[in-house]
Amino acid sequence: MILYEFEGKKILEEAGINVPKSRLIKSLKADFAVASNIVLKAQTLTGKRKDAGGIIIVSNADEAKSAVYKMFDSSINGEKIESILAEEKIEYSGSEYYISISYDTESREPVLMFSDEGGTGIEDRKSSVFPIDPKNPLEHVPALAGLPDELVKKIIRLFFDGDCLLLEINPLVLSEQGYVALDAKIKLDDAASGRHKEWNFPTRSISGRPPTEREIAAKKIDEGDYRGTAGSAYFDLSGDIAVLASGGGGSLTALDALFAAGGRPANYTEYSGNPPKEKIEKLAKIVMSKPGLCGLWIVGAIANFTDIYATLSGLMEGLRSAEKELVKKFDFPIVIRRGGPRDKEAFEMLRGIKELDLHLYGEETSIAESANIISKLAGEYAKKHELVA
Amino acid sequence: MSLLLRENAKIIGQGITGSEGQRALPWMRAYGTNIVAGVTPGKGGEILDGVPIFNTVKDAVQAVGQVDGSVMFVPPLFSKGAVTEAMESGIKFVLIGAEKVPTKDAAIIYSLSRQFGASVLGPSSVGFISPHNKIKIGAIGGADPSRVFVDGNVAVISKSGGMTSEISLHLKNNDLGVSYAAGIGGERIICTDFADFLLALEDDPMTTASVIFGELGGTAEERVAELVSERRIKKKVVAFIAGDFAAVLPNDVQFGHAGAIIEGRKGTAKEKRRVLREAGVLVAEHFDDIAGLIKKS
Repeated sequence: MILYEFEGKKILEEAGINVPKSRLIKSLKADFAVASNIVLKAQTLTGKRKDAGGIIIVSNADEAKSAVYKMFDSSINGEKIESILAEEKIEYSGSEYYISISYDTESREPVLMFSDEGGTGIEDRKSSVFPIDPKNPLEHVPALAGLPDELVKKIIRLFFDGDCLLLEINPLVLSEQGYVALDAKIKLDDAASGRHKEWNFPTRSISGRPPTEREIAAKKIDEGDYRGTAGSAYFDLSGDIAVLASGGGGSLTALDALFAAGGRPANYTEYSGNPPKEKIEKLAKIVMSKPGLCGLWIVGAIANFTDIYATLSGLMEGLRSAEKELVKKFDFPIVIRRGGPRDKEAFEMLRGIKELDLHLYGEETSIAESANIISKLAGEYAKKHELVA
Repeated sequence: MSLLLRENAKIIGQGITGSEGQRALPWMRAYGTNIVAGVTPGKGGEILDGVPIFNTVKDAVQAVGQVDGSVMFVPPLFSKGAVTEAMESGIKFVLIGAEKVPTKDAAIIYSLSRQFGASVLGPSSVGFISPHNKIKIGAIGGADPSRVFVDGNVAVISKSGGMTSEISLHLKNNDLGVSYAAGIGGERIICTDFADFLLALEDDPMTTASVIFGELGGTAEERVAELVSERRIKKKVVAFIAGDFAAVLPNDVQFGHAGAIIEGRKGTAKEKRRVLREAGVLVAEHFDDIAGLIKKS
């Protein structure tokens, strides 16, 4: 999960790293009394907000008020501004330091990157790279252009104890108050949430728009239940073919094939690891709640240990309860391409369902072939019902 | 070589008394895998499906002698501890089935594997199978592996569990078979990556060619390209890379696998294909082309 700057700075502060005094503005009803120079920073998850007008310095209440009005009314790189961080302006004259810790997939180890020429445009300048031993991260603390050892240790400790995937401070500056982090970019490792009860951040989308109701609902399915996964990755897309794909790799392969076949998916999602029936049922309900669907594609690679009978039963129950809740009849084509444990029983069960327009395919039909079939059938359905965009 | 397990290799199962372990155990044994012991703290002295259970790996090794590998059915947050225990007992092959092992733990496990000279498959490896060696570790192939995996000369190495089977089935349907098939996991830190596996296969008499299933994100595919162009990997490699549709979504979107993420401009499926092709790897544009490329002389 990517954190907003204000969330990241709170974590830095708790770890004993100085950040500017600040207040979070969430509405126009805020108190705009300004004692001195204030930096207003639009809270976005995407970078490059400075050039887009997301950082404004003000020196009195009128300026503050008009800047806040303007910011709340605008969006940065497609992202709507929900909150603004108002910070005291820190005066400094020395270097702007860049310091970050992340995992290098190539060396397969954590690395600390440092530059004493930080600030904007750092990605175009060269940083020094220091590998860190994840077993003993504090054993060899790199000497960073005179930064105090204690500060570097605090940053390293926070990265590891806090299960960060990315901890970036840019810039870090030396002011009268000591070293201060002027920005914070933190990405937490969702896989570690089980050992961080303190992580209770609201769901967010990183697609430059607020998360949709379906995206929020889908994320909740896996919460607190380790048995398999369903819906942890779900995104609404603009097409008309609902997709219930299984497996991380299988789902990517399937969507590539669907696009190649000219079909337009209404969503991306996947379930895997033999999730219980209830999880599958919930996911099916969410996927089917989308208006304007012309088809449903249930697809996956041949499963190793996912119980095909149980998962397809769960999907069918999800479809039924979605029909009831939405007071709707799903009359569009449903193409199923699935194989694996208990698939014979599953297909027998499916052949008994007459009220849905099911098209059943097993392992003899490739994922790509079934992508062609659903694209064609959904296209015909759209034409018949004059749903062509 | 600790990675390419031989016939009758002695294997223990950590956490095998849990539900996934209990499910996989009879399937592994029926295939011919020599499971000599299980380890679950607090369950020492029990017998499961004829396999003696011990409280610690040390106890197990003391009772049954040195073993060749351990298969983990341990929950994600306990995987690091369990792997450490296995390595400290001298075990040189570990397969981690759990998904959602924190990246920090995976980095520690990788570092330990280097320190102990051990091969670790995973995290989130669906398993390892070799029909010729009658060995199957983990969930791979479920109860009926021969439906998908038949003896042959092509190694299948995949970031995805389901696609390991899908590729092996595609090969079978085209009269080819597998020497080994294994899931390496789609995580951010992959303890045995494509290149590590392919390097081990260079000296393997059973394997003439390999198929790799890659995805957007990370650098494991790029490393293959590098070693192929350096001629350190000489056997034929066919690659299929998924995740093109990600181009319609913004950066930083997380797909099913933790490693399947685009950060910045690197790591797109298209770019990986280009780099691989330039290095001399045969890239399958369509999944159904894989077998044809393997057969192409």
